[in-house]
Amino acid sequence: MVSVKRYLHHPFWQAILVLVVAYLLVEYGIPYLPPLIGISSAPVPQSVVLQYMLTVLAGILIWVSDNEERWARFRQPIYAALVDRDKKLLRVALMVAIPLLAGWLTFRAVRQTVAAPPSLRSIHPAPPSSITFRGETITLAGLGNPLRQDDSIAEAYAVGKRVYYQNCLPCHGDALSGDGHYAHGFMPTPLAFTGSGTIAQLTESFVFWRIAKGGPGLPREGTPWNSAMPAWEDILTADEIWSVIVFLYEQAGVSPRTWEEAEGPAEH
Amino acid sequence: MVAQAEGQEAPAGKATYDKWCAGCHGEEGAGDGVAATYMLPQPRDFTTALYQIRTTASGELPTDGDILRMIDEGMPGSAMPGWKDYLSNTERTDLVQYLKTFSRFFEDEVPPPVEYGGAPGVSEEGLAEGREFYDKIECWKCHGQAGRGDGPSAPTLEDDWDLPVRAADLTEGWNFNGGYTTEAIFSRLMTGLNGAPMPSFADLIDAEFMTEEQLWRVAQYVESLSPEMPEVREVVRAALVETLPATVDDPAWNQIERFYVPLVGQVIIEPRWFAPTVDGVWVQAAHDSERVALRFTWNDPSESPSAEWEEWRQRVVSVMQPTVETTVSTAEEEATGDGEPEVGELLPDALTVQFSTTIPEGMKRPYFLMGDQDEPVYLLNWSSGGDTSEALGRGMNAIEAIAGETVLVSESTFDEGQRRLLLSRALTLEGANRLVFETGRPIPMAIFAWDGSNGESGTQGAISTWYFLYLDQPTENITYVFPMLAVLLTAVLGVVIVTRAQRGAHGAGPGSGSD
Repeated sequence: MVSVKRYLHHPFWQAILVLVVAYLLVEYGIPYLPPLIGISSAPVPQSVVLQYMLTVLAGILIWVSDNEERWARFRQPIYAALVDRDKKLLRVALMVAIPLLAGWLTFRAVRQTVAAPPSLRSIHPAPPSSITFRGETITLAGLGNPLRQDDSIAEAYAVGKRVYYQNCLPCHGDALSGDGHYAHGFMPTPLAFTGSGTIAQLTESFVFWRIAKGGPGLPREGTPWNSAMPAWEDILTADEIWSVIVFLYEQAGVSPRTWEEAEGPAEH
Repeated sequence: MVAQAEGQEAPAGKATYDKWCAGCHGEEGAGDGVAATYMLPQPRDFTTALYQIRTTASGELPTDGDILRMIDEGMPGSAMPGWKDYLSNTERTDLVQYLKTFSRFFEDEVPPPVEYGGAPGVSEEGLAEGREFYDKIECWKCHGQAGRGDGPSAPTLEDDWDLPVRAADLTEGWNFNGGYTTEAIFSRLMTGLNGAPMPSFADLIDAEFMTEEQLWRVAQYVESLSPEMPEVREVVRAALVETLPATVDDPAWNQIERFYVPLVGQVIIEPRWFAPTVDGVWVQAAHDSERVALRFTWNDPSESPSAEWEEWRQRVVSVMQPTVETTVSTAEEEATGDGEPEVGELLPDALTVQFSTTIPEGMKRPYFLMGDQDEPVYLLNWSSGGDTSEALGRGMNAIEAIAGETVLVSESTFDEGQRRLLLSRALTLEGANRLVFETGRPIPMAIFAWDGSNGESGTQGAISTWYFLYLDQPTENITYVFPMLAVLLTAVLGVVIVTRAQRGAHGAGPGSGSD
């Protein structure tokens, strides 16, 4: 116990401890700790890890050299390892290990790596102001769901349900969570409709555009070449699409964004 | 707002059922929801009270726990998802009671679960004994010698509703309806799958044909046939080798890494296909700086074209051709209408591997589903009917062969429910639109597969989205020079520091170190 305490009070070992803890936090803490409390996270890229570690090291050096006595104590073990006769074994081991570590790190940096090219994809790209639906021009701006204007919501829901189950289900799933039994076959994965982040942020005319024109009708920033979403105007009528939109919002338990909301803050 | 229950006495679970289950299982639980003919296996008909995954004896009703487990975990390998993340405990337990109201049979008493002892330890001899009984109790008749669902009876199988049903591919445990732990498999062997051809083998224990331990051995053997569900990686790596594997079954392939590409039904353009046979293809690739060789391995219980499977094909086609009432005739549909196979025509198996015609500089790639009019794709087509060709795709219905001499080498074998295919081509070919395979660059790649004996051809087959093929570059010397320089420099620096420090300490008087 006593010896551990002595180490803990020594600036050199304190510096080593801080470095190790900092490394563990950056390398493993950042990707794995936030998910424990339900926040998503991702591994830190190697170059960023290096930056963090250099920052930590600079901080440590400033701290140890800030005070003459601390600086002397900090240097003492390093100096001892360099010159002490009884530390010859340690000295030789370090003189072999450190160059090998440097070699390994360099090799890791220069070796051939295989990665897919980055795909920067806008999930909700800006919609066009109007589209051509089966030869008919539809102006999207300000357009609401025509089926909401009369009292046929229940009927629209029923039609929409059939359309959804016969067409959308394999990818978007029974629970509307984007995980149907075909979802695993597609990259990018199908959109989920539940929660506040997807259709709840969109006007119904936006959703109509996405369904009617599908993947191939996406603008370039939406990577149309990757999307497995069909252009449903080839298969469904306009009424069927408006019906399935009613169904989506009802079933997911969310409300569409209104045009009043949309005109306020900027669209994403 | 809609679908409010009118009666005040609506049974618990009805609202949940109507909202989330009726689309497939039907309002009255008869398995005839609007989605029923858009999937195979079709949704369960609850009116018969025949539940596949049970702890009770063969032919018996399931316990409440059994029904809840199916709702919670879903039925892997089918369209039924697990609901435990989506519905509350109360909703799910209410559903159990509501499902039982669909059948009078639940007026009877539900027997207790079948009792049995624990599994013996796994051993080599145990697995061998399991295999012995796999033969003796004739698992192979449906599941095949290698367990790939290709036994002699496989083409004839149908369930209690006369629907075609596949013998499970035992090498893909992740698709087992009831899970693929040894315990789960043993439970299936003991209790059978009600409504499906899979029987219970408990009577063989009662008749002292085999012991319970020997049935556990069968379960352990079956469990041993399946790897873990493969991880999907976006980049397929083509190793640089001295000599390319010469044949499709060259043992050299065993040294080459395998990549799994999952496939799903083509449900994007009409006519769509909701019941594909091939659910994944293993890809291996190698090149020798001159040629590239690709090996594809996939399970398909039928060696098409196959007269033996013709009846199966007819049955599948008859249940899987949904009448799309909503379809308005389009130009595209007219174009594809005559492409459908004639009844009686035996279809081959086929595989197409798709690349971009050039390696894209930026993000943009051709449309993943066989290109479009603006940007074509480069296709390598193989068919068990004998054709292997290079083609240019401008959409699924606009594929034209690339004229010129055949430059593609192909070889395929079919072995116990598994197809293996070798395609090989020179990295560089003359002529427009013929992809040049460059090393060191990710090349967009997608895979399509058809099982003729399942009625698949044209747009009706299995597809993937874009993956990448990456041909390894020769490791340049610079890759070794830099690390060696780093080692050398660090070592020299170390020696300099140590020497200087020592000179200071031992030469110019006492430092803190020398003692």
